[in-house]
Amino acid sequence: MSAGTPKSLASSGQKPIQDICHPLGAEEVAPAGLRTPSPDVGNATSSIGEKDLSLPNGTPVETSSPASSSSLLNRLQLDDDLDGETRDLFVTVDDPKKHVSTMETYITYRVATKTTRVEFDLPEYSVRRRYQDFDWLRTKLEDSQPTHLIPPLPQKFVMKGVVDRFSEEFVATRRKALDKFLKRVADHPVLSFNEHLNTFLSAKDLNKRQGLALLTKMGESVKYVTGGYKLRARPMEFTAMAEYLDMFSQKLGTMDRIAQRIIKEQSEYLVELREYGPVYSTWAAVEAELHEPLEGVAGCVANCSSALDELTEDMSEDFLPVLREYALYVEAMKAVLKKRDNVQAEYEAKLEAAAFRKEERATSVQQVPTDVERCQDRVECFNADLKADWDRWQSNKRQDFRHLLTGVADHNIQYYEKCLAAWESVIPLLHDKQPQEAETD
Amino acid sequence: MMAEAVNEKTAQIEGSELAHTELENNKNKTMVEEGSSLLRRLEISVAEAEKRTGKNTVNMQETFTVYLVETRPIDAMKEGHNPAPDSLWRRYSEFELLRNYLLVTYPYIVVPPLPEKRAEFVWHKLSADNMDPDFVERRRVGLENFLLRIASHSVLSNDKILYHFLTKEHGWKEAVYETGFQAKADSRIKALSATFRVKNPDKRFTEMRHYSDELQSITSHLLRVRARVADRLYGVYKVHGNYGRVFSEWSAIEKEMGDGLQSAGHHMDAYAASVDDILEEEEHYADQLKEYLFYAEALRAVCRKHELIQYELETASSDLISKKQQREELATGMVRTFSFKGMTNKLFGQESPEQREARLSLLEDQIVEGEETVKEKTLESQEYVKCAWVDIQRFKEQKDRDLREALISYAIMQISLCKKGIQVWSNAKECFQKM
Repeated sequence: MSAGTPKSLASSGQKPIQDICHPLGAEEVAPAGLRTPSPDVGNATSSIGEKDLSLPNGTPVETSSPASSSSLLNRLQLDDDLDGETRDLFVTVDDPKKHVSTMETYITYRVATKTTRVEFDLPEYSVRRRYQDFDWLRTKLEDSQPTHLIPPLPQKFVMKGVVDRFSEEFVATRRKALDKFLKRVADHPVLSFNEHLNTFLSAKDLNKRQGLALLTKMGESVKYVTGGYKLRARPMEFTAMAEYLDMFSQKLGTMDRIAQRIIKEQSEYLVELREYGPVYSTWAAVEAELHEPLEGVAGCVANCSSALDELTEDMSEDFLPVLREYALYVEAMKAVLKKRDNVQAEYEAKLEAAAFRKEERATSVQQVPTDVERCQDRVECFNADLKADWDRWQSNKRQDFRHLLTGVADHNIQYYEKCLAAWESVIPLLHDKQPQEAETD
Repeated sequence: MMAEAVNEKTAQIEGSELAHTELENNKNKTMVEEGSSLLRRLEISVAEAEKRTGKNTVNMQETFTVYLVETRPIDAMKEGHNPAPDSLWRRYSEFELLRNYLLVTYPYIVVPPLPEKRAEFVWHKLSADNMDPDFVERRRVGLENFLLRIASHSVLSNDKILYHFLTKEHGWKEAVYETGFQAKADSRIKALSATFRVKNPDKRFTEMRHYSDELQSITSHLLRVRARVADRLYGVYKVHGNYGRVFSEWSAIEKEMGDGLQSAGHHMDAYAASVDDILEEEEHYADQLKEYLFYAEALRAVCRKHELIQYELETASSDLISKKQQREELATGMVRTFSFKGMTNKLFGQESPEQREARLSLLEDQIVEGEETVKEKTLESQEYVKCAWVDIQRFKEQKDRDLREALISYAIMQISLCKKGIQVWSNAKECFQKM
């Protein structure tokens, strides 16, 4: 059972306020019962699913809403402990392959899906996608779910000549990031039901759809850029979020620098070790009784060198990319916060303008302009979605970093254990003397 | 009063032997038992170091370090007493003087080396300053080691000058110079650096000399790289300290993650700090290697001395042969060897019978002298080879033993380092898991 705020539901648009149960609205009205997910909530909102929803500005909402209360329950119970039993959508990105054509060379990845959701025609899918397909998906999600935080993709552009786009290391890092991205989307209670995600996971050929999508993309992107309105009263919690993000991204940057520095120092240490070990071998060659012990030490240093090499590689591959991914996440989150500010600013401006006009006309107060109403809805929707996404993000972040840092500790422990084993195994060799002077120690 | 007792003991001690199986024990104990030695009757240590200022030979003010040499007769302690040791102060230059004296007086012995005069093979944190307390301390230990090695050597430990050095502060320098070793010292230096071709050296000594060259170059290389390795290791550990700071800062903006991060940060600080002790310990290993770097030089000197003696013998022999040939020619009138006299005879005519007689007589004297010289040199060479080879064997066994031990303690150090690393990162992991 999830504790805390209920998960955000599909954004609704042009509906009279009374018919919609906003998580935020529910809080303000304060009946405690409405705060916790219960079958009541499910019943109350099942009606939404059947209606044709559209966003405040008229664009159809391209989300597939929960068709039944039971699946809603499932989503609400999902929370942050990712028990395999409650999840019904599993995605994986693997098997990178290089494609060479006359026009270009690129990498595709296998996207495998396993699901019991009725929104999908089949229980299993396996398709091949390239980076720009992921980019398409992300853009579609951003446009169709503007009030939600969309996980980031790994960097799009790589400097040719500086980074080898086809090196095993680069492709492996990218694959992991794409896998992470898709899993995060699949775990999101709203995003995972997005029609575009469905298409992405199931369609044999994305290209056709992409062509059409390209045209609409242009128009959509203008949507939430800015209304040019100035924000007056940003709620405290969002200011706190923005401040946190600033400080957090600073810390990420520092950790990135430290990690890079450590890798550099370790690499230089490795260079010296690789010269150090062989000197013992050279020495062994001119000694008689000390020959075995010296060779033993040379071998030991060589083993430690290999272990160090592995450690540095692990840190490069596992640690740095995740830090950088979170830096991108911070940027994505900041963008969403900015959008929210704009929506609120627009509302404030319209509210003011309406109040002004009302004064002028001196008409009755009962008629609240639907335009303003719609803005208010948007703000409240946005705030609810954002808060839910924020909490989810914080929780995931905690888990991710716990996992990441534990991994760092593990890698270092493994390194020392390998070295320990090497030195311990050389001790008996060092004690062991020639047969003429047999000795036990 | 102690001197008399010592003299008695000295008489008893000559010529005892030691079975090789007893050499398994640790170095000090081994040194005490090896051969008949001073160390059996006298406890020796270099207990302290102090800074002094004074005027040097050119009347300039200088600061230098003196070392306290303490001695205590072992007999005096057996009766349950614990008498205060006798002591005197010596500076490094006096130790050097002692060693030079021993080198010259016992050329067939691989004389133990002194700790280095100036700090070399320094990695960045380590000071190259001779006044640095760590350097002084390591030098004190090195000087003590030097004395113990000498005092346990079956030949060197019997030396009177050594005993004087250990027991009487004043007048020692004068006593050393009175031995007249200085004159030999100069010719020794010349001989060691001169190039000459020996026709028939003892192959064992030639091999040993090659080995000493290898040992010198290898240990020198090893020490240089080891210093660089230490430098890099220092860098790796210290940079981790930055994690401590950033985790602390980060924990301030987190709610549930804060505690775990903060504690992990402390472990990172501890990790960074641990490298100082680790590298301090490793210096001991470096010192052991250095001792054998310098020992290699001493070994080389012994081999070279053999070559020099052999060369002198060969020169004397060939001189003798040529003189004999000259005599023969003079006697028979057949010129086989070139000589100026022969040439001038051809050019300006024969010499008179009286002149010939004189020359023949001179040659005969020279031949007699030459034969004496050859006999002496042959004896000298044989004696030298015999004694030197014995000490070289002793040195070889000591070296194998000491270096094996050094490698073992180095391995133990590394094991300890690894265990500490595992401990710290396991602690940090626990903290991360609580995040």
